[in-house]
Amino acid sequence: MADLGRAALVVSLGLALYALIAGTAAATTNRRRLADSARNALLACFGSTAVAAAVLATALARHDFSFTYVASHTNRTLPLIYSLSAFWGGQEGSLLLWLLILTGYGALSVAVNRRLLKDLVAWVVPVIGGIASFFAFVLVAVSSPFDTQTRPLDGAGLVPSLQNPYMVAHPPMLYLGYVGLTVPFAFAMGALLSGHTDERWIIATRRWTLAAWTFLGFGQILGAHWAYVEVGWGGYYAWDPVENAALMPWLAATAFLHSVMIQERKGMLKIWNMILVALAFELSVFGTFLTRSGVVNSIHSFAKSSIGGWFLAFVVISALFSVVVIVWRLPLLRARTKLESALSREAAFLYNNLLLVALCLTILWGVIFPILTQLFEGQTRTLSRPYFDFFLRIFGLPLLLLMGIGPLIAWRRTSSRGLLRTVRWPAGVALVTGGALIVAGAGSSTPGLISYTFCAFVLTTIVVELVRGTRATGSLLELVARNRRRYGGYVVHASIVLLVIGVVGSSAYSTTREHELRVGQSMSVDGYTLTYQGQSTARGADNVQTNALLSLSGRAGGMLKTGVYDYDNQGLAKAVGIHTNWLRAEDLYVIYNEFDKQTNAIDFIVLVKPLVNLIWLAGFVFVAGSLVAIWPDAREQRRLAARLALARA
Amino acid sequence: MTALIVGALIAVAAVVLVALPFLRTHADDDRLDAPTPAEELRLALIEERDHALGALKELEFDHRTGKIGDEDYRSLVGPLRRAAAEALRALDRPQELPGSTANPDGG
Amino acid sequence: MRNPARLIVALAVAGVLAIFLLYTALGGDSMPLLEPSSLPGHAGTVSLTGKVVGPVAGDAHSSSGLRFGLHNITGTSGTVPVVYHGALPDLFETGRDVNLTGQLSNGSFLASQMTTKCPSKYTAAKTD
Repeated sequence: MADLGRAALVVSLGLALYALIAGTAAATTNRRRLADSARNALLACFGSTAVAAAVLATALARHDFSFTYVASHTNRTLPLIYSLSAFWGGQEGSLLLWLLILTGYGALSVAVNRRLLKDLVAWVVPVIGGIASFFAFVLVAVSSPFDTQTRPLDGAGLVPSLQNPYMVAHPPMLYLGYVGLTVPFAFAMGALLSGHTDERWIIATRRWTLAAWTFLGFGQILGAHWAYVEVGWGGYYAWDPVENAALMPWLAATAFLHSVMIQERKGMLKIWNMILVALAFELSVFGTFLTRSGVVNSIHSFAKSSIGGWFLAFVVISALFSVVVIVWRLPLLRARTKLESALSREAAFLYNNLLLVALCLTILWGVIFPILTQLFEGQTRTLSRPYFDFFLRIFGLPLLLLMGIGPLIAWRRTSSRGLLRTVRWPAGVALVTGGALIVAGAGSSTPGLISYTFCAFVLTTIVVELVRGTRATGSLLELVARNRRRYGGYVVHASIVLLVIGVVGSSAYSTTREHELRVGQSMSVDGYTLTYQGQSTARGADNVQTNALLSLSGRAGGMLKTGVYDYDNQGLAKAVGIHTNWLRAEDLYVIYNEFDKQTNAIDFIVLVKPLVNLIWLAGFVFVAGSLVAIWPDAREQRRLAARLALARA
Repeated sequence: MTALIVGALIAVAAVVLVALPFLRTHADDDRLDAPTPAEELRLALIEERDHALGALKELEFDHRTGKIGDEDYRSLVGPLRRAAAEALRALDRPQELPGSTANPDGG
Repeated sequence: MRNPARLIVALAVAGVLAIFLLYTALGGDSMPLLEPSSLPGHAGTVSLTGKVVGPVAGDAHSSSGLRFGLHNITGTSGTVPVVYHGALPDLFETGRDVNLTGQLSNGSFLASQMTTKCPSKYTAAKTD
């Protein structure tokens, strides 16, 4: 069985190389059949990779411990769903998943666009082939999931904190995002290589980019939620390098999604867009390099692995390639028009881009800082939360404000008088909200207060836009249907506002209290009273569960269970108790900290996290907004096809 | 044994897929069906037309929703209408290819 | 306005650099990241990463704290005695890789924050 998997991967490597070489030959010599053959090779590569994936999945489902990979990441008692999700629980399997998604996306994007963009697609195929070749090579020669061993009696099992539905969904979702960013990159390179640097490649990849960006964003929310409920420190984001590895390409992709709108309308920022799409792609691969090479100290740090070097080489080579191609085609990337005014929607998008990229690069700096200090100073130093939080505020708050101002500005130019007129309502609501919040006591945190005021501004802008637009078109549905990108975008903006409110509420306005309780004793936090009722111990499948029971009164009623699980041969892990107060969207978060054997008292850490559930809600609103923006527009498709037909007439 | 058979099948299927384009058509129409320079130029003009019309539509919408005042609207609409008209005229004119390779982005 | 884009970008880059320089000048707050073998002699708060060695004694909640030893994750090193006060992180046990924040005092490392590294999902490099 492992032989089949290995053979399938070798076939994948061969096909990817063929797509690269034959595709390049076909594009340079303009040969259609060779180009079609290269394109088919990509499809076949997906097929053989799928076979390899099926082999691994079957081995996992069957607990075939002769596969070293299966033995390292599962055991007999592991439920099927976690056995299967162990596919992406380890390095080799994740790489296979990456290759599978890459070839799948690649083959599909190329097939869909083969008629409208023949010349461009001819170049896209070798680019994807090249990237696929790298991953296939690593899987065949460096890090194979199909290594075998003498079959042990049982496997090592899966880390308990990963036995969680969120951890089943989180990696594939992130990969659909990371790998998805390859498609716009490949099309961008295709556009440059073929010499067709107009907007066609952008229109062709628009939905792909949106989809990848959505997966990446939602995947991060899933990860944050897992950290919140499972890791149990009361937080959801720690600026860990592995977390940042997903955030950075997402920020670059966000900038790209905005700036392409300028290129489509004004033919400007062509060079900038090329750089952005390459940056997003390189960051997604670089992120993988960071997390797998062990080069940066991370809570998720994986043991130093041999593929780090290969990934670094790939990042360097692909980055150089992008730079060379962009510089070579600079003459084709001249702007069609110029920015007419610093107070225009084009300018607003430009500011948005600058802020997003600035934030992205400062995070990148923070992530590679330890590597650089080690290299140049001989001593490793790290930057932590204060650094990241500082720059998040410096760049994030203006971004938030811009989300509210941008939609109110017209294209080309707006007079300051005009802007003051349209900004009236949102500014008014924001100021009133700010005042009300100060009265309500939110002044305890200045950044928090500012954030909330800006959020009110943005939400009012969105409402104003919808109202004015509906008045102009006569129907809300018609309004949204005619301009899905814009209004889907507004829904996404609303989700960001929800996210900000949730993040600010649960950090700036949260309360923490620690107290030791004996049976019958109570403690109060923020209007909640918790009374310790007693604890019990029970044997789970692979652990011993100790749970403390608390009764709630005051702002909430009912019972809450919080405990500590002693995993066989793994150590203790907390199982936090969370009580959600839906009316306030806040959580009462209780950690079983320490059991005092002498006094039989338990030390509890209790956190009240206001509005934290808005973060998870934001995830769903985000996806909803993206769906609106992605939804196929038959009118637009017809127009594009008509364009080509007319050109050929 | 099954592994060997499946493996062989995959390899064969891959080879067939890759060879398919060569088995199907003649060598005559082997040119990559890319738009000719003349078609490229036309495409560029069509995009120009669509941009101009789109900008006009957006201006109207921004005016109706109150983002642009009457004064600003009046000053902006004239040039946009002229640009749209010019783009439509350019499309109807027989296209002349410039001496050197056509730059579709008309820089 | 002739082409405000260039001016905007230039101002933006200048602005970002200015903020950056100001921030790092005002005490950046980067923290040295050390291993037990490189710890001796470092004053001030540092971040220490190492592997927990037994015996583990005491109570992180009591005044005398949780006591254990720490040595380098890879390679040989001496063992640094650690005294930890604070919340015990998940999956803490002998043999686990941990990250501590604290300072060296009288030969012991007094730590107030600890995180355990998520046990390696990825296996170490295979040496042929």
